[in-house]
Amino acid sequence: MTNNDFVLQAIDLAVSYGDTNALSSSTFAVGAGELVAVVGPNGAGKSTLFKALAGFVDHEGDVVVHGEHCHHLERKAIAYIPQQSDLDLRFPLSVSEVVMAGRRRFHGRRMRVKHEDTARVATCLSQVDLAGMESRSLSTLSGGQVQRVLLARALAQEADVLLLDEALSGVDTRHTEELIALFADLCATGTSILVSTHDLGLVRTRFTRCLAVNGRVRGDGAPSTELEGSKLEALFSHSSWGEAS
Amino acid sequence: MSWLLDPFQSDFTQRAGLICIMVGILAPVVGTWISLRKLAYLGDAMSHSVLGGVALGFAWFGTNAVLPGALVAGVFMALVIHFLSQNRRIATDSVIAVVGSGMFALGALLLSKMDTTVSISHFLFGQLLTVNTVDLWITLVLTVSAVFFVWFRFDDLKFATFDRDHATQIGIRVQRLDAAMLVLLAVCVVVCLNTVGIALTVSLLITPTATARLFFNNVGTITRAAIAIGLTEVLAGFIVAYHFDLSPGPAITLGATSVFIVMYAIRFATSDRTYVHHTHDHDHSH
Repeated sequence: MTNNDFVLQAIDLAVSYGDTNALSSSTFAVGAGELVAVVGPNGAGKSTLFKALAGFVDHEGDVVVHGEHCHHLERKAIAYIPQQSDLDLRFPLSVSEVVMAGRRRFHGRRMRVKHEDTARVATCLSQVDLAGMESRSLSTLSGGQVQRVLLARALAQEADVLLLDEALSGVDTRHTEELIALFADLCATGTSILVSTHDLGLVRTRFTRCLAVNGRVRGDGAPSTELEGSKLEALFSHSSWGEAS
Repeated sequence: MSWLLDPFQSDFTQRAGLICIMVGILAPVVGTWISLRKLAYLGDAMSHSVLGGVALGFAWFGTNAVLPGALVAGVFMALVIHFLSQNRRIATDSVIAVVGSGMFALGALLLSKMDTTVSISHFLFGQLLTVNTVDLWITLVLTVSAVFFVWFRFDDLKFATFDRDHATQIGIRVQRLDAAMLVLLAVCVVVCLNTVGIALTVSLLITPTATARLFFNNVGTITRAAIAIGLTEVLAGFIVAYHFDLSPGPAITLGATSVFIVMYAIRFATSDRTYVHHTHDHDHSH
């Protein structure tokens, strides 16, 4: 692959919060249609990595999307799904309102919701198996359903890269399988997906590539090599104190 | 019917009634967002902080400068909070407490040293029956501006309050919206100053929305219901205060609190007790 073939490139990406290095210099690239797991212990910097890629936190180094260096607020090609703990899930919004947020940049200068936006929201909800639940309140949904609503919102954005922070937490086995199948379908259409997860078994069986993160990206390759033996032990035993928050 | 209309026979009670209508609309419109953003404490501190501006305006330019003085103090408080909150070492509520209490103390000291018959309790609990035409026009302009702002930025407020990071990504200028919300709160506090006063403003901001929240689960519906509740409470409180010779501010506040308690009891009694814990692994769709 040449540099122009990559959808997303992180070049010497590093993040500090005050005196604490949350993520040290990390470099990797993701091609179109790749499904990548991001693994590492709690506090390893996985969320920080995603937030830096999405442009939510100040960082050193470069993020390159489709060969172009990005300013923080110009990363429309990237959609980020936060951990549920970062959201107020009792916020009084309906499912369709949450997903419609993903359509905001298509509303035009007058910010009018168009017929195609409503149709697109319905399509995205069907893709995540929530068809017909448009008017349900977010606060009445289970954790797994909320996760799928947030995924539908990312799909509504029509982004080329999806960053899913702990997207499979709180999702039951059946819906995990369905989400993985959905990820495969999306990747087949060219969408690149990065998923952070603690489920190493799932990564070994359903992913072909993983990034091992602890303070920085320490490994990048097939789960069969990155998550076995001494590499796995080193990843989870390495102290990130003082290096990651 | 005449019992309801009697309070609005004279010029000064008609002005008071108009102020009540504007406050009854504006406070729930702004209060819905203050409540959803968990800024009730800021609302309380902001309302107390305007006493400094009230005292300075009153001391230098007389009664007509009370509302402009309060507005300047409120906006000043909003900007100071916005600026100081950028420092990650100090929690925002600490900043609010420091600045709010300081400005309240300044106002209390200045008023105590002034040679005037106006008591601090006028500002603490409202002075609805002394509203003049200038107050009325200022309140009208502030109310219309604030309501139009919320109307036009409703979706952005919704998205930015629910998920700031995502709102940033989809092009909403979240920090500008935060600053605008602070200014809106300052405007609302100033508008409420005559009606219920500094001490009770937070009640008009929060109570109608909290009452509506008991029954509805959509921001738009909550806002509309809160306006209906707020308007009814303010006008009913004013009419009751007139007939029973009570101070309007405390009467309105006590009425709003009573309505909330009764509605809470009704909601509790009729609730089906269903509650979904978001940490559950199971799904309900199948």
